[in-house]
Amino acid sequence: MRAPVSHRFVRLLAALGLAGALLLPALAAPARAAGEKLVLRVGTTQDLDSINPYQTLLVTGYEAFELTYNLLVDFGPDLEPIPGFADKWERAADGKSWKFHIRTGMKWSDGTPATAQDACYSWGLAVVAIKADAHIGAGYLDPGLKDAGVTKVECPDDQTMIAYTTDASDRILQTYLTIIPRHIWGAKDYKAIGEAKFEAPLVGTGPYTLAEWKTSQYARFVRNPNYWGKQGAADEVVIQFFKSADTMVQALKAGEIDYARGPNADQLKALQNQPNVKTVVGSANGWTQLAFNGYGASNGKTIKGGGPSTKALLDPAFRDALGYAVDKKVLVDRVLGGFGDVGNTIVPPVLGQWHVEPDHPRTFDIELAKQKLDAAGYKLDGEGRRLDKEGKPISLRVFLPDTNDSDPKVAQFVKDWYGQLGVKVTTQVRDSATLGNIVLPPEAGKDYTANYDIELWGWAGNPDPNALLQIFKCDAIGSSSDSQYCNPEFDKMYEAQTAATTAAERKTILATMQNLIYDQAVYDILYYDANLVAYRTDRFGGWQNQPTANGTPLFSYGSINYTLLTDATAVPSPTPTVSSTPAPSPVPGSSATPAPTPVPSGSGGTGGGGGDNTALYVGILVAVLAAAGVGLALVMRRRKGTPREEE
Amino acid sequence: MSVAPVAPVVPVDVRGVRWRLRLRNAHEFARRYAGRRDGVVGAAVLLLFAVLAIAPHLFVGPLQTVTTATGAALEPPSSAHLLGTDEVGRDMLNLTVHGARVSMVIGLLATLITILLGAVIGIVSGFLGGRSDQVLMRLTDFFLVLPTFVLAIVLAPIILDIVGTDAEFFGIRATLFVIIVVIGLTSWASTARIIRSQTLSVKERMFVDRARVIGGSRAHIMRRHILPNVVNLIVANTVLTFAGAIFTETTLSFIGLGDPFAPSWGQLLNAAQESGAPGLGAWWYIVPPAFCVVVVILAFTLVGNALDDVLNPKSATR
Amino acid sequence: MSARYLARQSAQAIFTILMIVLLNFLLFRMMPGSPDRVNPRNPNVTAEQREAAKARWGLDQPLIPDQLVAFVGSTLQGDLGYSMKFQGQPVLKVIGDRFMPTVLLIGLAELIAIVLGLALGAYTGWRRGGMADRIGNGLSLILYSMPYFVIGMPLIIIFAAGLGWFPTSGMLTAGASYAGPGQFLADLLAHLVLPLATISLGLIGGYSILMRSSITETRAEDYIATARAKGLPDGKILRSHAIPNALLPAVTLIAINLGYVVGGAITAEIVFNWPGLGTLTVDALNSRDYPVLQGIFLLLGVSVVLANFVADIVYGYLDPRVRQ
Repeated sequence: MRAPVSHRFVRLLAALGLAGALLLPALAAPARAAGEKLVLRVGTTQDLDSINPYQTLLVTGYEAFELTYNLLVDFGPDLEPIPGFADKWERAADGKSWKFHIRTGMKWSDGTPATAQDACYSWGLAVVAIKADAHIGAGYLDPGLKDAGVTKVECPDDQTMIAYTTDASDRILQTYLTIIPRHIWGAKDYKAIGEAKFEAPLVGTGPYTLAEWKTSQYARFVRNPNYWGKQGAADEVVIQFFKSADTMVQALKAGEIDYARGPNADQLKALQNQPNVKTVVGSANGWTQLAFNGYGASNGKTIKGGGPSTKALLDPAFRDALGYAVDKKVLVDRVLGGFGDVGNTIVPPVLGQWHVEPDHPRTFDIELAKQKLDAAGYKLDGEGRRLDKEGKPISLRVFLPDTNDSDPKVAQFVKDWYGQLGVKVTTQVRDSATLGNIVLPPEAGKDYTANYDIELWGWAGNPDPNALLQIFKCDAIGSSSDSQYCNPEFDKMYEAQTAATTAAERKTILATMQNLIYDQAVYDILYYDANLVAYRTDRFGGWQNQPTANGTPLFSYGSINYTLLTDATAVPSPTPTVSSTPAPSPVPGSSATPAPTPVPSGSGGTGGGGGDNTALYVGILVAVLAAAGVGLALVMRRRKGTPREEE
Repeated sequence: MSVAPVAPVVPVDVRGVRWRLRLRNAHEFARRYAGRRDGVVGAAVLLLFAVLAIAPHLFVGPLQTVTTATGAALEPPSSAHLLGTDEVGRDMLNLTVHGARVSMVIGLLATLITILLGAVIGIVSGFLGGRSDQVLMRLTDFFLVLPTFVLAIVLAPIILDIVGTDAEFFGIRATLFVIIVVIGLTSWASTARIIRSQTLSVKERMFVDRARVIGGSRAHIMRRHILPNVVNLIVANTVLTFAGAIFTETTLSFIGLGDPFAPSWGQLLNAAQESGAPGLGAWWYIVPPAFCVVVVILAFTLVGNALDDVLNPKSATR
Repeated sequence: MSARYLARQSAQAIFTILMIVLLNFLLFRMMPGSPDRVNPRNPNVTAEQREAAKARWGLDQPLIPDQLVAFVGSTLQGDLGYSMKFQGQPVLKVIGDRFMPTVLLIGLAELIAIVLGLALGAYTGWRRGGMADRIGNGLSLILYSMPYFVIGMPLIIIFAAGLGWFPTSGMLTAGASYAGPGQFLADLLAHLVLPLATISLGLIGGYSILMRSSITETRAEDYIATARAKGLPDGKILRSHAIPNALLPAVTLIAINLGYVVGGAITAEIVFNWPGLGTLTVDALNSRDYPVLQGIFLLLGVSVVLANFVADIVYGYLDPRVRQ
């Protein structure tokens, strides 16, 4: 007597199994048929927020507009100026203007001729905005032009754009301002373009133009047939957004993507053993810091219900002493898994020619820190608490963003180390928007109170160090300053280095500025982050780091690296393994160690792939389920239930 | 108006009878509960976890932090680390056992809020009836249909903003109260419904009328006559709510609304996912907290159902 | 069913929806900071620009009544405002893009879970106390105790990362172009299998447990005994008498659960990077995209209210006692 239910049950299972079996052939490894498009698939854990170049706040957004549009002057393999929208440029004899030659016969991807009028329109928007003391959109692109001292642009003919400048440097060649098509956007002024809704497909002069954007899923770029430069091997570029680095790494291993931006340290180490995968450790143009709230140090102002909780924070000697209590090497090793560099000055080493090491470096020495605190007048009380000069126990509130999982770890170390000095630390995690508001002082608006002691966060800069320097200027208080630091001397030097005519002169001033901020301990720069990247070499070759010494292949500057990629499958290579790839030879210091050392994680085997663990997992799963099932079956008598809600 | 004491005059011997009755009931309850193997096993499991939660340091020492970690990153299980280590070298056994405390305390406090709100609103609404009942029940209906989880997600940052301090209560960081309050606020409605319907039927019974006749205040009647008669329901409901609270806590923490400094099981699973443990094959990072979550929820469900059947024979289905 | 019952239920549903709109307004005005937070760490934003942004979001008006009136008015017109993260995109579009993937995934999962769960529950309930019951019911309870991500993570490790049978994440191969609908369907199905299995497994427990107790209850009814006395075969009694009668509570549960189809299984979507409303919710939360969160909240609230409404109507139709 069999119940029909079970029959139906079996039939359904059979149907499902059949459906599954039918699917399998479709899942075979993607071998490219003749005539099929060659697609470069790029994975990133960062989303794309906007395809309007003036609105995007994220690196992915920059990548999208750099692929689609051209900068007037692009960035070469080592960030040197190379032809972009303009193919030649020269400085006028009097030094007051630059003449840019726009290449002849260039076309937008829709076939419309691309001329100097487009350049004049795009730069003109920024010039007007600068004159009005305003910004376009989010305000990240036009300051480059202001920084380069551009006051006026004119286009005497379709092949020439002249930019007048008050600036003696050649920063004009590093402006991050794209040239957008005038025949599409020309009716918009600088205010309207900042709000404008850009929609795929976009028309550009770059190597690949945005064809499709599925929010939070992917952005697809197609080859621009009218591109003026060398065409890359890929027919299409798809940038795919992942919620977690883990799924991204799985996708890379499975060959679903060719490039993964942002695996974590453990994942990168595991990937070093993967066949056909190469890993890169690039230096980020930025850092993670402890920013001390020094509000009022320069002008004696206080904030009602806000500001730093102790005057000690305004004292450089106090901040300096704290600096001896932080072991940055330990942070790099334990928090970053060894990827990253110990931090010191405010120009990251990735900007090699401008970075200097501090003249008076602080080394980790808790005892010395204690002595310095004692000497500066911050004594311990009977309970081992460090007192400020008002006699109040010092308790510092550290605020950090919830955007990554390394910051909380750093906070725990800092809490521990400062604690050894008798300085209590409390930690508060906030979402980044809230945190950004917490650190704003009343200068930004009457609702802001800068109610924090230390902000644990980071900054990322531009190819030119100015972007990172201006955080410390007096006029940054109320906008980007998170140290509330103001020193007219620093401001003066900032202007001087901007006006410097030679690199050597500028470097001298920059060195003084870096040492000033370091000695004053305005920030404690903990480490310069690393950009971890892994890519496959079995479908594309020609990967190059930009800059070659310490950069990464993609998501750096300009679009040149996409055009350098070659079709690895087209080359008859018998064994496409790491050793035989046409990829560039590892640049010293840029690629990860060639991994003779066993990876400390993983299954303990040498293979290290997911496959090795599978049997283990299946075993565990089956064992757990079986044990639980049998155990329950023995104790079970009867049950009733309630609906399961959504989770 | 003279203030005559309205407390019911209960002769001593009657009170004695009542106590004996209760004792006999308790004995009867224990006998019947002991007959439920699933309930006994569930209770044993819960007892074990309760012990772990009360004194985790007795078993595995103080909670390891990134600064006091004893191992290397993602070490597989070994004699030094029976359950392996996490991505900063903390001992997984240590974390999982301490996670019991965080998860259980969150579950306990959230359940208390839920039951308190649910019972008070249910009894008051059912007993008072009329306009107040209508208003309270509309409110309950409203909370009943609110998408709990999304509401929790939205409420979490708001409450964090309000209570966002670094203080500790019973070794639990204040930020965890966010999760507790969120769970409490979003899950009391069904309890209130159940209790109200029971209150409605109790209200009609003779002894309530009698109490009313001899002049018992409404608060008194609710406390002394209604409450004891719905307490059975409350008990069973509490245990089931506990399971739900731990489920919700795990899920909220998993999507990143937990406290990174206090490892609950959900927080550990979140950290495991963030650090890419699944792809790295670090099963020892995932299995212990996941196993504990499932076992504890299961145990609560078993105990809750057993209690329900034993205490509320009418609702049992045989 | 009386018109009065219908009217009362409708009035209640409408009232609740209005309450949700009100709560929606208040809740999101309470969230830390406010929607005027244009890149606080942007070196290039001035105090004036901040004020301008405030004005753009209408935040310089008094909260009540101006902001409230404007909010309720635009909500009723279906204008949910603009996403803050995806700048310039209307909330309706952002949510709309994510609507179908979730409905597809959760809808199918519900379907599978209902069929399998009810079948399992009916079988175990009918064979109460037997070995099949113990194992089946034990399994139901275990599944019922497992959050989706606890089910999903091992599935990815084994079947996607390990065996490579299925893709690890997503709904379609990103940016793929398909030769025909067959190819598209194959790609979709391949991506669908694991998340579908995860959610179905998570849901089966609840249905099975409910159906089991319902069948058990029915088994004790007189008409079953009568049928048995008539000598009907066991399977026929189960199919023709027990199941139809035991389905009543299940129908209500299904109707209510359908309201949560939209709410989805957030953690399952996250684990599989499924481009649905669940991942959108978490995205919006992480970037504090209030307008989108508001929209999702409204959508979920309304769909649950409607599902409850349907459940009430269905229940009232099936069980006349409720109607009075």
